[in-house]
Amino acid sequence: MTLTSIAARNIGRNKLRTGLTVAVVAIATLFFIMLRTVVWSWSSAEEFAKKDRIATRHKISFVMQLPKRYAEEIAQMPGVSAVSYNTWFGGKDPKDEKDFFATIATDPPGLLKVYSEIKAPEDQKQAWLADRRGALIGDALAKRKHWKVGDKITLAGSIYPGNWDFNVSGIYTTTTTNVDRSTVWFHWDYMNESLPERRKDMVGWIVTNINDASASGSISKAVDAKFDDRDLQTVTMSEAALSHSFLGMFATILKAINVVSIVMIAIMGLIVGNTIAMGVRERTNEYGVLRAIGFLPKHIAQFVLGEAVVIGVVGGGVGLVLGYPFVNYGVGRFIEENMGQYFPQFRVQPELAAFAFGLAVLLALVAAILPARQAANLQVVDSLRRVG
Amino acid sequence: MSENNGGGKSDIIVLSKVGKSFWRGKERLDVLKELDLTMKEGSFEALMGPSGSGKSTLLNLIAGLDVPTSGSLKVAGSELSHMTEGDRAGFRAANIGFVFQTYNLMPVLTAVENVELPLLLTKLPAAERRKRAEVALKVVGLEGRMGHYPRQLSGGQEQRVTIARAIVTDPKIIVADEPTGDLDRESANDILNLLGKLNKEFNKTIVMVTHDPAAAERATVCHRLDKGALAL
Repeated sequence: MTLTSIAARNIGRNKLRTGLTVAVVAIATLFFIMLRTVVWSWSSAEEFAKKDRIATRHKISFVMQLPKRYAEEIAQMPGVSAVSYNTWFGGKDPKDEKDFFATIATDPPGLLKVYSEIKAPEDQKQAWLADRRGALIGDALAKRKHWKVGDKITLAGSIYPGNWDFNVSGIYTTTTTNVDRSTVWFHWDYMNESLPERRKDMVGWIVTNINDASASGSISKAVDAKFDDRDLQTVTMSEAALSHSFLGMFATILKAINVVSIVMIAIMGLIVGNTIAMGVRERTNEYGVLRAIGFLPKHIAQFVLGEAVVIGVVGGGVGLVLGYPFVNYGVGRFIEENMGQYFPQFRVQPELAAFAFGLAVLLALVAAILPARQAANLQVVDSLRRVG
Repeated sequence: MSENNGGGKSDIIVLSKVGKSFWRGKERLDVLKELDLTMKEGSFEALMGPSGSGKSTLLNLIAGLDVPTSGSLKVAGSELSHMTEGDRAGFRAANIGFVFQTYNLMPVLTAVENVELPLLLTKLPAAERRKRAEVALKVVGLEGRMGHYPRQLSGGQEQRVTIARAIVTDPKIIVADEPTGDLDRESANDILNLLGKLNKEFNKTIVMVTHDPAAAERATVCHRLDKGALAL
């Protein structure tokens, strides 16, 4: 029997209250892990992005388009090995319009060169290249929508109105997580030929492979310089930076997530502190007796802090045990499959798990400091006066 | 535990002109007034008096739970008047055993663990601590209830556990604040018999606050307090 073991047993005295407090710590830890994983995954997208791939968009905004000929001009520049151009189509499944997935009009031969991570059986690739209505579909999306090669699908255009029919030419997968597996890629020509004259021959962004990754900065500058005196100027950046600019609004949300995760943990601390304070209040007489028989204020503080540590350890542990599989095998898989471009690896990092656990214990400890001080500073005679 | 060897009776508690005052707002309350009192080692002394007479305050001073406002207070050879709280805690752990009216056992600990509690402050190994706690419980006749939690014991049994906790460190003095106040007559008699046994067989000096004349009769000396002074 030790002071710490007694403290641990003390928290079992009000099982409902302790259980609820542990649940709060566990839930806070779980959500902290998940939210921080969102932030980490987003921030680490650059790490997973291809270093020899740069992207060019309109200087003012992603939603403004560039002439397709810019891609042809970039392809002629020194140091460039392949070019592809893309336009965000914004198609939806008419049967389930709330189900979001990316639909991108592209230059198929260029895409397969620029995105070497995209893998599909050769016959499916050839079928896609040959069919102007062909679509190459990510395996995660195909699985979700039960689409298979040979199917005819219809997408409703939101940016380009109307019902658009496609033939599923191939199902692709990827060799890395930085290209999402829930995109419908289709022929830019198919879209372009259907557009009114004033909207024709424009592309959303241009993706360029370069021979030397270390030259990405200078080539980006050269691309922008090339179009600097044109009507439509460009901004060229790394692939990761492009993703960030594409989801600029999301970056603000991520900042909010950061704040929410901190506020949530702070609330957890207050709840633990309140629970500990209630326990101290109820046990004032016991602390008085302990002081009477010779225990020092530091021992009383040890009792109180010990209880808080046990709550933090149990709650943090439960949060980890629940959070790890929830993120890594649940929500993480879904995000990697469907938003791999922006969250290439959505997994709980061991450092984050250790940090979250340590934070739960530390905050429980910090929350108990005030009640512990109050308990330790109780006057023995006053405490005993409350007896009975 | 040291048994009574029938040796000489030295003074173990000596109060010289002890005063204790409290402040209630700006009003000063003199609870004890220049009290002179001596208690012999191995004596069994009762403190009686009406509510507010100062008997519990006197017991707190003797136990080292509080310090006098004025005068000298010597207990078991230590002058308590000017001791720090930390020193008094050490003094209490070494010299005083406490028996309270409402038992105050820790509900999460078994009887033997409750008795072992004060020994956590010593450097004794765990096995020795447990052995001593078991011996103390045998002394109070609860060897069959060692693994029971307080909620599984009667009031009288709980008070016996409290007494075992009070004697487990082999203190010189046991202070008892209304030890039979919550008990029926039969259980109260058992507890008083037990205190008498500790006094006679183990030479423990017992200072007991009580309102119960039957309890006071067990004491060898009975002091009556009234308005902070000893009544003649």
